[in-house]
Amino acid sequence: MDFIRNNQSQSPDTGTTIIGVAYEGGIVIGCDTRVSIGNYINNRTSDKITPLAENVFLARSGSAPDTQLVADYVRHLVHQHVMEIGRDPDVKTVANLAMQIVYNNKGVNHGQGLCAAMVCAGWDKHNGGQVFAMPIGGTLLPVPWAIDGSGSTFIWGFMDAEYREGMTRAETEVFCIKAISLAMARDASSGGMVRLVTVDKDGATRRLVTHEEMEPFYEELDLRKVRDGSGGVALGI
Amino acid sequence: MSIMSYNGSAIIAMVGKDCVAICSDLRFGVQHQTLATDFKKIFKINDECYVGLSGLGSDMQTLRQRFVFRHNLYKLREDRNMKPSTFANMVSAVLYEKRFGPYFCEPVIAGLEPDGTPYITGMDLLGAMAPASDFVVAGDNTESLFGACESFWRPDMNPEELFETISQCLLSGVNRDCLAGWGGVVTVITKDGQFTRSLKGRMD
Amino acid sequence: MVIPTEDGGFNFDLCKRNAFLGQQGVKGPSVLKTGTTIAGVIYKDGIVLGADTRSTNGDTVADKNCEKIHYIAPNIWCCGAGTAADTEAVTGMVSSAMELHRLATNRSSRVITAMTMLKQHLFKYQGHVSAALVLGGYDHSGPHLHSVYPHGSTDTLPFVTMGSGSLAAMAVFESGYKENMELEDAKILVARAIEAGIFNDLGSGSNVDLCIINKDGKDYLRNWKCPNERTYRHAGFTFPPGTTPLIKKNMNTAYCTSLPGLSALVEVSDGPEPESMELA
Repeated sequence: MDFIRNNQSQSPDTGTTIIGVAYEGGIVIGCDTRVSIGNYINNRTSDKITPLAENVFLARSGSAPDTQLVADYVRHLVHQHVMEIGRDPDVKTVANLAMQIVYNNKGVNHGQGLCAAMVCAGWDKHNGGQVFAMPIGGTLLPVPWAIDGSGSTFIWGFMDAEYREGMTRAETEVFCIKAISLAMARDASSGGMVRLVTVDKDGATRRLVTHEEMEPFYEELDLRKVRDGSGGVALGI
Repeated sequence: MSIMSYNGSAIIAMVGKDCVAICSDLRFGVQHQTLATDFKKIFKINDECYVGLSGLGSDMQTLRQRFVFRHNLYKLREDRNMKPSTFANMVSAVLYEKRFGPYFCEPVIAGLEPDGTPYITGMDLLGAMAPASDFVVAGDNTESLFGACESFWRPDMNPEELFETISQCLLSGVNRDCLAGWGGVVTVITKDGQFTRSLKGRMD
Repeated sequence: MVIPTEDGGFNFDLCKRNAFLGQQGVKGPSVLKTGTTIAGVIYKDGIVLGADTRSTNGDTVADKNCEKIHYIAPNIWCCGAGTAADTEAVTGMVSSAMELHRLATNRSSRVITAMTMLKQHLFKYQGHVSAALVLGGYDHSGPHLHSVYPHGSTDTLPFVTMGSGSLAAMAVFESGYKENMELEDAKILVARAIEAGIFNDLGSGSNVDLCIINKDGKDYLRNWKCPNERTYRHAGFTFPPGTTPLIKKNMNTAYCTSLPGLSALVEVSDGPEPESMELA
């Protein structure tokens, strides 16, 4: 009975893990695919990486309506900007627009401001691959890597320990998949699959990583072995 | 104590063959104290359209004024009466305008469309229409009214049969209601005209 | 006197009074809810939308056979759950805006336009306009299915459910959905999902309505399944004339303060023929 009430009064929450990592020549931005209302998963294949321009992407966590609204507004403004300048926009321009919408609306939600924790990343010809962390409140930070969402608390140590400068594109993608799948394993509000977008000078490439493709962690069920009938629980990475 | 049963009311509208009927009780009270026993809650809008208003007495009267006012403006502009379905949409719009600070009034609309087909609809206080092909009820004790109507109503009643049925539904429906009763008033609308009768009910 | 305005929008005049009444300890009223099961799938050639037909007011069934699949455009339809007045009003507003947009642009409507209008309206009211919607349609770029939440977020999925019966319906979809289904299979699947809500969720009940939308147009199947026909029958009570005791037989018909028609107040007469204008 409570659920019925909650379903009416609560809004979808992208209780989430999102990540953005820059490498030499580009960026990788990633997320899980779970959207939930309370304990109910109302979308298990969602796409939390919204394109803001051909070369800039936004990973969203926090309130679904708030972040969708921000993304829609930024896309609208970026479309106009791109028509004026006649080329792809700079990443910092797009990230700044997103930040300003969050910062200038701090009066909403009973003074709490927009519930939007996001990571904006992309590639432009002036500054190459760039990642911007955009935590709740309207701060904008240029960083080599950023994580956010409820699942991110579980992987700060992993990020600090495993991030290296000078990773290749393939290494960065594996790094992102590992970080998100670690968060999904421990955070109830993160789960499903991993979505990645890689952006470099040649444009953006999307990738969807399912359970079967992911390396199982200690004591997890190895779905690849279950499928071919050869085994069960993985003991060690 | 809900605000909707502060003054007490019971209203039914019913469909017959080429006719409709609408009725209300006559009590007006403040909680358990009866103040008037001739308080009609059915209002004529035009020959083919009546509205019954249940809920808070003051809002009933305010709404009646606003509906008549809107209907008058419509007549000045269009030189014709609103048909019941048009009137219902107007009522719905008037109520929904106050979505976040509503009138405490649930209207019931009954009438005949220009082609003679019966039209009745109920509405909640925000203006959500619930048109019906048999009967609609409103008031502080809708459970009793629903029960009586569910068992007494049958299709294709002539005006006299419809009058007796809706009267029996109203009287038995308010029999166990402290806040409504003290007789009733019934109007039956046919394409040849309308008649209104006042019912003898228990006075306690 | 309150003059009706032409510019629309909500009116908050009574909010203070109602809040005062609330402070005095009177309980607020209940409103019609469509404690609902609504659902939609994408099949091979288009969209199938489905809904139950129960509307509730507290614990009472207010309408046993209401319509929850609302018109947005000839090629776009929308199932509504939540507060009945809100679903009715929000779909009505968007369908009007879409019609004007079609007339202005001379192009058929797109589903994404309707979705954006709905989400922007719902976001503006921060969930207080409580409409949970399943929006489906077929436009120049093919079939589209979205769910819209009361706070203004949207999902785009091949199969969606909404309302208090959404869990029951989603269980059916999760076990029975296949890609590229034939129309008949899709209809049966949606009906099964709605029936799961009708039978397992107390807020949902009565019949199954379906609406099929594809490149050939729409097919609105009202009461496609009626698994809850009434089982009780009575011979029919007949009350012979004179059963009910009367106080007055012929009363003045309940009083009426509306104006007579304009033609009764003024005389309209034909004037002389207007002379045609001449250009020198």
